[in-house]
Amino acid sequence: MNPPSAAQTAPPSTPSKAQTDPLRQWLAIEQSERLVAFAQTASGKFCLYGIAYLAVLPLLSAWTAALCVTAAWAVMAYADQRARILFMASWGLTLFEAATDDNDFAEKIQYVMAQEHYLLLSPELLAVGALLMMMAGLWLAMQHAISRPDGLLSRRPFVCMLAVEVALLVLSAPQVDHGLLRVLAWSMLVVFTPFVWFFPLAIADLRGRAADPPAMQMAVQRPFWSHNYLPFGKGAGYLRKHFSPLPREQAITHIKGVKLLLWANFLLLLSQVLTWFFSDYLALPRLINAIDAFVEGQPLPIATGWEVLIYGTFRYALQIAIWAHLFIGLARMAGYRLPRGSWRPLESRTLMEYFNRFHFYFKEILVDLFFIPTFFKVFRQHPRLRMFTATFMAAGVGNALWHFMADIHLIAVEGLWGAISSFSSYLFYSFVLAIGVGLSQVRASMGYRPSATLAGRLYAFLFIWSFVVLLRVFSDGTRDHTFEQRLRFLLSLFGLN
Amino acid sequence: MNREVFDTLRAYLQEALRLHGDTQELADGDSLFLSGRLDSFSMMNLILFLETAFALTFSDLEFDVEKVDSLNAIAALVHAKS
Repeated sequence: MNPPSAAQTAPPSTPSKAQTDPLRQWLAIEQSERLVAFAQTASGKFCLYGIAYLAVLPLLSAWTAALCVTAAWAVMAYADQRARILFMASWGLTLFEAATDDNDFAEKIQYVMAQEHYLLLSPELLAVGALLMMMAGLWLAMQHAISRPDGLLSRRPFVCMLAVEVALLVLSAPQVDHGLLRVLAWSMLVVFTPFVWFFPLAIADLRGRAADPPAMQMAVQRPFWSHNYLPFGKGAGYLRKHFSPLPREQAITHIKGVKLLLWANFLLLLSQVLTWFFSDYLALPRLINAIDAFVEGQPLPIATGWEVLIYGTFRYALQIAIWAHLFIGLARMAGYRLPRGSWRPLESRTLMEYFNRFHFYFKEILVDLFFIPTFFKVFRQHPRLRMFTATFMAAGVGNALWHFMADIHLIAVEGLWGAISSFSSYLFYSFVLAIGVGLSQVRASMGYRPSATLAGRLYAFLFIWSFVVLLRVFSDGTRDHTFEQRLRFLLSLFGLN
Repeated sequence: MNREVFDTLRAYLQEALRLHGDTQELADGDSLFLSGRLDSFSMMNLILFLETAFALTFSDLEFDVEKVDSLNAIAALVHAKS
């Protein structure tokens, strides 16, 4: 194998620190032999899964929470059948969600249906039909890759997925098709897009000698614990390496899963308290509203503008952590002892470390699909340039592409050029982030080490988080303001017009 | 296995771990990357080091984290590729 899974790594840990910190020792309940023994009993499992369900409820609908926790329990209870259970849970949830009102797929399909005045089939039915077709397509593609290990799909699965994405985009263009054909092509594009980030991991794993069978590969395409565009837990290969069927190991993993879910709840509570204090009590507007006010010629006082920006950045970091902990907590309840998705980003001492800690699985997919292929291909005789280019491809190109594709429906709304144009501020963000992370990476490879003193740590904190806060103006994910408006807003915070 | 190669690799890995704030002892079979002691960027730095110090070449299609996940595995890889 196994290229794309080459970066199967975890956020940095600091074991020596964890061992000496009394609070962390107290929180490390999975080290209590009594608790581990209890977690292996029937009543212990009942308690853990009960707590997990209650912890998931504030974040997911009651049905989804029940399905996820039940599926996690079933994977644990019938480990020898886990491919089948995962398959049923993951695809069952995908199809169930697609068939219900107000789901992401149907919402995106509706844009083109409205443009084509197509009312014969419901968007939900189109989404389910397209998903079933795509399931069959992915299965056939997997068989093709197995039968032709030297074929293009087997060697370059991500490039092939992008080619299919582009082909569907062309087929669903109003200049090419109209009516039912365009609606069908668009439906396929909408449901296909998330799998661009999952399927290459399956093909990469299939190249290995110890690969999981295709059924397991299919089972973790958008697994039930993270139904989105990002492979939390990566592919079957990574999951296999983080699964132990031993009862004691499983019990520890479940305790760590419950801890993470409870931590997500604590962060959710913190987020709600902050929202109450800043948004309700202090009436601090959101960043998008602050830029609106600036554009309309009624800018907020500079100090308030900074408060909005800093609070907005912090809140975003909290959101990332909450969802990452939910997804990984659920995966741990299914027995996969995965590294956390967000790992103390405030402790980062370099930009590279921040990129690694802040959104671990996002970084991992970018490393797998962009960094590693670039690293092994270009500038082999120039180590620094090689490292910088590979980092730039991941943090810049990959980052921008992932976010652009997550909002693929905007091509239907704004047209291709309009969608690219409204994406310009995020492109700028990706470019600057990539330069920053790339330089940080090159410095590290040249031997630069951040100071471990208190002053050094304070300096690193201020540098990294100033960088992140300033860039937040361009990366808030909305498309409502142009790059120029955002830049002028940022300059206004320094008193510059 | 050449003892000198083993010692060179150990010194490199211990320094990489130390820079990650990990001062625990490194046993020959300890997992480095899958366990989370080192990250994916450290892995690429390790590849650079292996290419430079031992004149090895890698391609992305043959690359597998398990081949570099422990001191023993890396030493075996160097031995096999040299």
